[in-house]
Amino acid sequence: MNRRQFLQGAAATGLLLNAGPFVLGQTSGKKLRTALIGSGWWGKNILKEAIASGRCSVTALCDVDARALEVAGEQVHDLNGETPKKYEDYRELLQKEKPDIVIIATPDHWHALQAIAALNEGAHVFLEKPTGQTVNESRAMLKTALASKKVVQVGLHRRIGPHHVSAMKFLRSGAVGDVGMVRLFAHGGGGRENPTRNSPVPDGMNWDLWCGPAPLRPFNTRIHPGGWRNFLDYANGTMSDWGVHWLDQVLWWTDEKYPKRVYCSGGRSVAGPPILNEKEQTTDAPDRQLAVFEFEKFTCTWEHRHFGENHNEKHRIGAYFYGTKGVLHIGWQDGWTFYPSNNRDKMIHEDSQLQQPDGHNLQLLWANFLHSIDQKELPVANLEVAHRSSVLPLLGMVSWRVGRSIEWDGAKEQIVGDEKAAELLSRPYRSPWKYPEL
Amino acid sequence: MKSNRFLSTKIAPRLFGLTFSCCALFCFASKADDWPQWRGPQLNGISAEKGWSDKWPDNRPNNAWKTNVGLGLSSVVVAKGRVYTMGNADNTDTVFCFDAETGKGIWKHSYPSELGDKYFDGGTAGSPTVDGDFVYTISRWGDLFCLQAATGKVVWTRNLQKDHDVQLPDWGFAGSPRVYENLLLLNVGEAGMAVDKKTGKTVWQSANKEAGYSTPLTGRLNNQPVAFFTSGQAFVAVEPATGKEKWRMRWITQYGVNAADPVIDGDKIFISSGYGKGSALLKPAGTGTPEVLWQNKSLRSQMNSAVLLNGHLYGIDGDTTEKASLKCVVFATGEVKWTEPGIGSGGLIAADNKLIVLAERGEVLIAPADPAGFKPTTRAQVLGGKSWTAPVLANGLLFCRNSRGDLVCVKVGK
Repeated sequence: MNRRQFLQGAAATGLLLNAGPFVLGQTSGKKLRTALIGSGWWGKNILKEAIASGRCSVTALCDVDARALEVAGEQVHDLNGETPKKYEDYRELLQKEKPDIVIIATPDHWHALQAIAALNEGAHVFLEKPTGQTVNESRAMLKTALASKKVVQVGLHRRIGPHHVSAMKFLRSGAVGDVGMVRLFAHGGGGRENPTRNSPVPDGMNWDLWCGPAPLRPFNTRIHPGGWRNFLDYANGTMSDWGVHWLDQVLWWTDEKYPKRVYCSGGRSVAGPPILNEKEQTTDAPDRQLAVFEFEKFTCTWEHRHFGENHNEKHRIGAYFYGTKGVLHIGWQDGWTFYPSNNRDKMIHEDSQLQQPDGHNLQLLWANFLHSIDQKELPVANLEVAHRSSVLPLLGMVSWRVGRSIEWDGAKEQIVGDEKAAELLSRPYRSPWKYPEL
Repeated sequence: MKSNRFLSTKIAPRLFGLTFSCCALFCFASKADDWPQWRGPQLNGISAEKGWSDKWPDNRPNNAWKTNVGLGLSSVVVAKGRVYTMGNADNTDTVFCFDAETGKGIWKHSYPSELGDKYFDGGTAGSPTVDGDFVYTISRWGDLFCLQAATGKVVWTRNLQKDHDVQLPDWGFAGSPRVYENLLLLNVGEAGMAVDKKTGKTVWQSANKEAGYSTPLTGRLNNQPVAFFTSGQAFVAVEPATGKEKWRMRWITQYGVNAADPVIDGDKIFISSGYGKGSALLKPAGTGTPEVLWQNKSLRSQMNSAVLLNGHLYGIDGDTTEKASLKCVVFATGEVKWTEPGIGSGGLIAADNKLIVLAERGEVLIAPADPAGFKPTTRAQVLGGKSWTAPVLANGLLFCRNSRGDLVCVKVGK
């Protein structure tokens, strides 16, 4: 099946949707019993698409924060009248409910254990990006997924977003010419970071379980909800959060599967030194990073800053593909634009078609996920491609930590000739959690 | 969804009586009114002012003056010819006092304070409160000030975070101080706290848990004085003098945001939050969880509170992340009478049975408060940028601000 057929399938699902979920439910037989692990902002965005598809019943919700569970439970009830069971511990949910589909929208440090457990319980998995927090977690997940024969879709919705699909078609048509360089970026304003005071763990929150295999920090509202993306105990900062989407566009475009060399420079001299003590905390992710990914036929860079928002440039986020015929920018809300090298040629632009308010294309990604389950096919953002894309920022972080470039043997998925860097492909887990076996 | 609907037979005659008496007093004369605190003289977003212009020639504002006060959402308060507000620039909060008619600066008072731009533009959130010769302010980070209204001189100050180690909600303290007799009530802690308004000394405190973002609301229910606070998880009613809890209504929203002040009418209280939560009409019976007369999603007040006029609530429904609208909802039943889209996350007040709306994009809309429909008599662009702050009407002057701190004073007196 090609991408066009996929999209047609998705469109057809969309049309049926308009007939109402209950009509569909009656005609399409048994609903897929769906559970959500990580019931915060993004998890609920995904779950809404599951409900809107009309083909899923919400069996259970899991979160270590009882407030999030209550809000999510109420929203599910509002949307489809169901009262899903609520769990604090995902292991209990998986064992008791045996869901058909598990959505995993927890912080990065939980992805591997939860995805592997869900696959081992026989569920199809919709997993948020990036796949793992370290490279070997992601590899272990892929190994389990391939053995399970279950469908895993990763939340890289830019693989199916309409303006991305058409930009990729444009790029592949040769309209940009020979591309020798790709520049990826995301910038936002900011400055020095003042510490936030630690606070008591909120009522109904199992903070120990939130931290899980990662280090147990004092509770701080800067971490939860939502702020964990910039704490390296639980994620990998902006390069991994935003960068993975754009690095994924590059791997989608090129026929190369991995870079041969990665170098990353960065720091947080603007945000200030990280603070972690009994009284207060700051984030500890770099306030800016520049990473170079050397491929055989092109050079790819990623850059982000948490200061000096680039009002000087038209585009604030996205990917520039530099070719002999011009520059293609693929963006977010601003769609895609081609700037031809020849001044006599016209600029070409296509608007984005995103779901608001959060500007994503989860509806299409979910439809593709269900289609893949039905047809026993690989989804567009399957774990294998998402793994390769997720590995890139993780390797960037390894290079940043050791302060030198690393040689990457992508076929063996090993760092060549640098033991210290190679150690960082895994991380220690906090007892009693065990790092997944390769 | 629970939706116990019934019509109160008591409300209509009483409101009619109120309207009648107001009319008898003020029908033929314009009436001016100060606005000395958040939500105005009656703590309900309604001014008694009459005789102001609700039809602006050519839909143009007659600007008296304009200035910039820095980033923030603080509204203005007006008392004795002086207008007060707050804003943040260069990680410094400033409390401003201007001459209301001319906009001439009378004094300002500054102190270091973080911008705090988590998911919004940042800056000050609460508004000053004027009580006699004093102005009270609280910063998002717990800096509490009593200033001389005439001079801005500090009478007393303290930082609640430092003194009491109080827990900050995610966006800091956003409610304004509320004067109750000799006390200053603050939405700090799980169900508020009170300090002596003369000395700043703590009189009572609630549990050190996450506060909500509303301003303490005082009033009477069941013939007893009551103060309402929001926490991250509930609406709580307490005895204002002691802080003793009367009852609470568990009210969980995403991110613990309960920001809109409740609306009291007789023995009933209307509560509402955004993030898809919705609203409810409660009938408390002294202590214990109040009876829920109705609960639905027709009015989801993320920040600004609704106003209640003649048995109908007029309020902003929806979050900043969606296209919020203005709605008219029947107080007794929760039934939607009309929806006016395109208003965004603005705010509104009422005076002389007319709504004065400041839409998110800086447009003022004035329309009769009419359950039959929203028919503005004025639509005027007064500000650029983004306005999340309700306008204020006082003594023939209308004050509007946006989040980047442009403050405009429009003459509406006839």
